[in-house]
Amino acid sequence: MIAAARIAGLTLISGVFAMAPRAMAQQSESSGTVVQSLEGRMTDLDQQLRILQRLRELAADSATAAAKEKVTATASAKDGFSLKSADGRYLLRFRGYFQSDGRLFPSTETVGGLDNLLIRRARPIVEATVGQYFDFRLMPDFGGASPAIFDAYWDGKFAPQFTVRAGKYKPPLGLERLQSATDIAFAERGLPTNLVPSRDVGLQIAGDISQGLFAYQVGVFNGVPDLANGGDDLSNAKDFAGRLFVQPFKNGTLRGLGVGVAGSTGFERGSTTAPGLPSYRTPGQETLFRYHTSSTTPASNVFANGKRTRLSPQGYFYTGPLGLLGEYVISRNEVTQAGVTAELEHTAWGTTGSFFLTGEKAGFRSPTPRKPFDLKEGGFGALEVVARYGELALDAASFPTYATATASAQKAESWGIGVNWHFTRAVKIAVNYERTTFTGGAATGDREPENAVISRFQTSF
Amino acid sequence: MKILALTLLLGATPAGALPAQTKPVTLLNVSYDPTRELYQDINQEFAAYWRGKTGQEVKVRQSHGGSGKQARSVIDGLEADVVTLALAYDIDQIAEKSGALPAEWQKRLPNNSSPYTSTIVLLVRKGNPKGIRDWGDLAKPGVSVVTPNPKTSGGARWNYLAAWGWALRQPGGSDATARQLLARIFKNVPVLDAGARGSTTTFVERGIGDVLIAWENEALLAIRELGPGKFEVVVPSTSILAEPPVAIIDKVVAKHGTRSLALGYLEYLYTQTGQEIAARHFYRPRMASVAEKYGGQFPRITLFTIDEVFGGWEKAHATHFADGALFDQIYQPGR
Repeated sequence: MIAAARIAGLTLISGVFAMAPRAMAQQSESSGTVVQSLEGRMTDLDQQLRILQRLRELAADSATAAAKEKVTATASAKDGFSLKSADGRYLLRFRGYFQSDGRLFPSTETVGGLDNLLIRRARPIVEATVGQYFDFRLMPDFGGASPAIFDAYWDGKFAPQFTVRAGKYKPPLGLERLQSATDIAFAERGLPTNLVPSRDVGLQIAGDISQGLFAYQVGVFNGVPDLANGGDDLSNAKDFAGRLFVQPFKNGTLRGLGVGVAGSTGFERGSTTAPGLPSYRTPGQETLFRYHTSSTTPASNVFANGKRTRLSPQGYFYTGPLGLLGEYVISRNEVTQAGVTAELEHTAWGTTGSFFLTGEKAGFRSPTPRKPFDLKEGGFGALEVVARYGELALDAASFPTYATATASAQKAESWGIGVNWHFTRAVKIAVNYERTTFTGGAATGDREPENAVISRFQTSF
Repeated sequence: MKILALTLLLGATPAGALPAQTKPVTLLNVSYDPTRELYQDINQEFAAYWRGKTGQEVKVRQSHGGSGKQARSVIDGLEADVVTLALAYDIDQIAEKSGALPAEWQKRLPNNSSPYTSTIVLLVRKGNPKGIRDWGDLAKPGVSVVTPNPKTSGGARWNYLAAWGWALRQPGGSDATARQLLARIFKNVPVLDAGARGSTTTFVERGIGDVLIAWENEALLAIRELGPGKFEVVVPSTSILAEPPVAIIDKVVAKHGTRSLALGYLEYLYTQTGQEIAARHFYRPRMASVAEKYGGQFPRITLFTIDEVFGGWEKAHATHFADGALFDQIYQPGR
């Protein structure tokens, strides 16, 4: 029994020993398979991870590329609505302004304007930057009796010191004329602006040197009468206009001082049917002087016939909330009536003062109110008071050959006060009172003074 | 007064008022993805050649991207003096949609305006672990294929058409079997880059995929740059003759005043030097003597043309790559 058990035990032991290598081999084979399987899975997972990383990388590249090509759309009171390419080389800007006026002539009974509510200006503006150097601006006006183009010009901005402008725009003459209609202190520009053109077609070179220390403009233009919004020329002769303006102090109290001189010279050859001569207006926009014209005897009409020159020393000073602007203009025109030619010299000067009661810094451009109008936040906007005085003197030799003394004044003197409430940079309400007295201009001596109250609701963007 | 006015007018022009131009004349070459290195060398040599010939300093700027995308940029206003794209269809599109060059632009230079050719091959990892031998192997389950997007890449279109043409030439091959092959291949594509160079990056640098369908020049360049120890070129039994064309963009050269320079630039590609540079960058030269000199680096392969198999690019585009055409039916992202 014992022997049998021993034999059985030995057999079992030997069997176990005999089977061990095979089992070990099988175990090893199984482990290898597992390792291979794990390696395969790791490779797959590695690939999946790499693919995910690459896809993320490509998505980031796409996002970066898209951002580079992204067109930016912006809207602001300062710059209007704009679309800008990612590199900034292409810009399309839509701006504009709208002015709705009321004109009252409370104590003017026998002559002068009608009390009137009117759309003074309605001007959409399209501006574009095309490429790195070139700008374009188009500004029609729908506020007058008929639509008219005021600005349509091309700018080549090659350097701050050298820009080229071609098209229709403000010639470099009157200081207040060069100020935007949205920024002027009074609703209407003062008497000196009568003696400079509004717009002309021409080619101009301009630049700022030493960061605005010295600015220049010089150009050749068709040549238009004073106050005119010019278009086609009347003759082959052209006008040359130029302006130098210096802001000598970069720092200190006098930092806001700017002085300059502008002038133009040229020839104009009008005719009795296309006289090429201006008429002049009061601050209430009523005619105060016109050259003799007659529909019944047009041969007696006065017309421009020779040299035309203008000269305008000008300047401004802005310090804190206080602003002062002044200019003097001489306008000489050779005119002919019935074969008699004379050179007439008209002069005008004016000065305007402004003060922001709410503390904003005055400037050539209207400031942004420190606290824009906001009922919820308690913002009031900016309150500005303004005052001015000006004179326009017509050459005495104008009468009676070239103008009718009973219809045109020899001199106008004007003073005015006003309040401007800038709700925001974009919205302004203005109320002005202006009294203009005249020398001559009526059948019985002096024309009745003009008392004008002008209100304005203005939106600009 | 008139004289004064004219003087001012002339003086006011930018050319009259600015200092004399001393900058070199600039030419913009808008090209496709894998030609960066080729045109870097061409531009350098050409600048020296042109200076010697005319005394004029030249700076050639390069822009690279997927061929289709580059063509769209030119159509949208990118001021390319010359285009050197992956396929004629893209330049046809520029001619048709922008009118910037005439429709018969391809007749203006020799060899259909293709100064060099190439073909499509397969690049695999060292040892070819998945046993890739021909186009059919790309459709096998478990094979990860890298190729760019035919919607944006000219190279990808050549890849696609090379596989399609192979399928047609197999016993029993038909449009149906070719479509089935391409559907299975694109099912194996994990990443669809926008251009050929992007796909090379995906395969070579990011280590994704088992096989890259590539321009021959791109595959040979990868081996040269990264060493033969990492990759192998598998030459399929047949492939397509790729003819990357070049053209002057007439409207742009007229605007820039660079016509003669642009023409000189493209003609330079056909010169002995231009052809040698192309060959050194693994583009197959047209000039017989240069082709013979560099023949050893280009494997022998049976090539078919797009006209023979697909009836030209216009037809190939309409059938395969237009919106809603066969590629859109075959490939849907995320599936």
